[in-house]
Amino acid sequence: MPPRSPALLLTTIPLLLILAGFEVAPMLAVLVSSVFRGGSLSLGNYGEIIASSYQRAAYVSSLWLSVLTTVIGLVLALPLARILRRMGGRLQSLVLTYSNIGANFTGFPLAFAFIIMFGLSGTFTLILQRLGLVEDLNIYSTGGLVLVYSYFQVCLGILVLFPAMRALTPEMDEAAAILGVPRWRFWWRVGLPVLRPSLISAAILLFANAMGTYATAFALAGGNANLVTIHIGELVSGDVYSDPNLANALAVILVVTLILPIAAQHIWSSRRPRDER
Amino acid sequence: MSADRKGFFWVGLALALMLLPVVAVGLNAFATDWAGSLLPLGFTLDWARQMMADPRFLQAFGNSMLLGIGATALSAAVCVPAIVVAHAFAPRLDRLFAGLVILPYAVPGIVMALGLLKLYAGQFGLILTGSPWLLVYAYVPLAASLYYVPIKNALRGLNVAELLEAGSMLGINDARLLWRVILPSIRQAVVIGVILNFTLVVSEFVYANLLVGGQFPTLQIFMYVLRGGSGHLQSVLILIYFALVLIATTAVALLAGSEQGKRS
Repeated sequence: MPPRSPALLLTTIPLLLILAGFEVAPMLAVLVSSVFRGGSLSLGNYGEIIASSYQRAAYVSSLWLSVLTTVIGLVLALPLARILRRMGGRLQSLVLTYSNIGANFTGFPLAFAFIIMFGLSGTFTLILQRLGLVEDLNIYSTGGLVLVYSYFQVCLGILVLFPAMRALTPEMDEAAAILGVPRWRFWWRVGLPVLRPSLISAAILLFANAMGTYATAFALAGGNANLVTIHIGELVSGDVYSDPNLANALAVILVVTLILPIAAQHIWSSRRPRDER
Repeated sequence: MSADRKGFFWVGLALALMLLPVVAVGLNAFATDWAGSLLPLGFTLDWARQMMADPRFLQAFGNSMLLGIGATALSAAVCVPAIVVAHAFAPRLDRLFAGLVILPYAVPGIVMALGLLKLYAGQFGLILTGSPWLLVYAYVPLAASLYYVPIKNALRGLNVAELLEAGSMLGINDARLLWRVILPSIRQAVVIGVILNFTLVVSEFVYANLLVGGQFPTLQIFMYVLRGGSGHLQSVLILIYFALVLIATTAVALLAGSEQGKRS
C-alpha cells in the first residue's frame, strides 16, 4: 500500500536513528577496529589470537561449554515441554511463567544463589560431602559454570520448545497407541522428525545464549573463567592489560561463530524442496 | 491415570529444582548464620533492616527505578509508533525492523558494549560514557524486540489495511485512525512490551557496568560491589530484585492470559 500520509512515516525516524547510532554503528566500529593495529590496516589482531594458545583455549572452552549446556538444555527441556503441553491448567502456566523468569535469571543473582547452594560451605556441598559423593566441590570451576548455565538453558529451552509441541497432535498419540508402537519408536520415527526444525532453531538460540553469556560467568568465576566473553571484558576494562583492538578481533570471531549456524540453517532450509517445508 | 501422575511428578520436580536457587537466597537473607550447617541456625530481620538503612541501597534502588522508567519511556515512545506505522504503510521498512530487532540475539551484549565504548568514550568527540543517558539510548535496540513481537502479533490479527480503507471512506485521516482505533486495540501488547522492557533494564549488568559503572550505581552494580562481603546482605538485595521481577512477570502472565481468553 502506498503511504497516503507521508508525514506519518516521520514517526519511524527516531527509532531508525537510535538503531543506527546504538546498534549498527557500534557493530561496524567493532568490525572496522578489529582490522586496525597500531594505526594501520592489518590482520595482526587475528593473527595474534590464532597464535595464542591462551586465546585458543578460551575459544575452545567457550565452545565446549556452549555445546554441552545446549545439549543438556534441550534434552531436559524437550520432555518437560511435551508433558506441559499435554497437561494444561494452572501448573502449566505456573511453570511457563517461572521458566520466563528463570531464562532471564542470570548474572549476579543467579551466580550468587548457586554459591549459597554449592559454595565452600553450601548446603548441597555439605549434603554431597556427607553422602560421600564428592570430596570437594568447586562451583567456581568449569563444572560450576556447566551447572549454572544449564539452569537458564533449561528454562529457555522450555520456553522455546513449548509452542513447537503443538506440532505433535493428540491424533498422533492415539494412532501410536492404537497401533501399539513403542514410545521410543514413536519419538524416533514421528516425534523428532516432526520437531526437527524447531529443535534446530532452539539449539541455535541456546548455543548463542551460552556463547554470549558474560555477566553470569564474570559473577561466578571472575577472571578465572577462561572464556571468550570474559577475555573481551578484561581487555576492555583494562584491569590487567588493555588492548581494545584485540578485544575487537575476539568479538568479531565470537559473532561469526554465532552467525555461522544461523546462516547454515537458512541455506539448508531454503534448499529443501518446497513440499517438505 | 498413571501417565498423568508421572507427568505431574516430573513437572513438579522440575519446578522445585527451578525454585531452589530462589529458596536458597530467601533463606540466606533471613539466616543468622548458615555456614557449615545444612540449614540456617536461626532467623533474623537484621540483614533486611541493615540493607534498608544503607544509603547505598537507597541510591541504587532509586537509580534502577529512574533508569527503568526513563529508558522504558523512551523505548516505548520510539518503538511503538515506528512499528505500527511501518506495519501499516511501509512493508520494506517493517522487514528492516524485523531484522534489526533480532540482531541483539546474535550479537552478545559484551560485543555491543565494546562498540559503544569505541564510539562514545570521547574518541570521536562525543563523551557519553559514565552517564546514564548512554544507557537510556543503548537499551532501545535491546528492548525493540520486546515491543516488536507482541505488537506485530496483535496487528496481524487486526487487518490494519481494511481498517484504514474504511476510515478513509468515512473521512477519518490515517493518523487519527491509528491513534483512536489501532492503538487501543493493541494496548495489551504495548503494556506487555513495557513491562518486559522495565524488567530488562533493572536486570541488565553488562552495559551498566562497562559503560557507566560506579558513577551511576544500579541494583545490579550494587550487587557486584557487595560481593565478597556478608552474603546475607547480598541475599536481601537479590530478594528485593526478585520481588520486582516477579511482580512484573506475573503482570505479563496475567495480561497474556486474559488476551488468550478473549481470543478463544
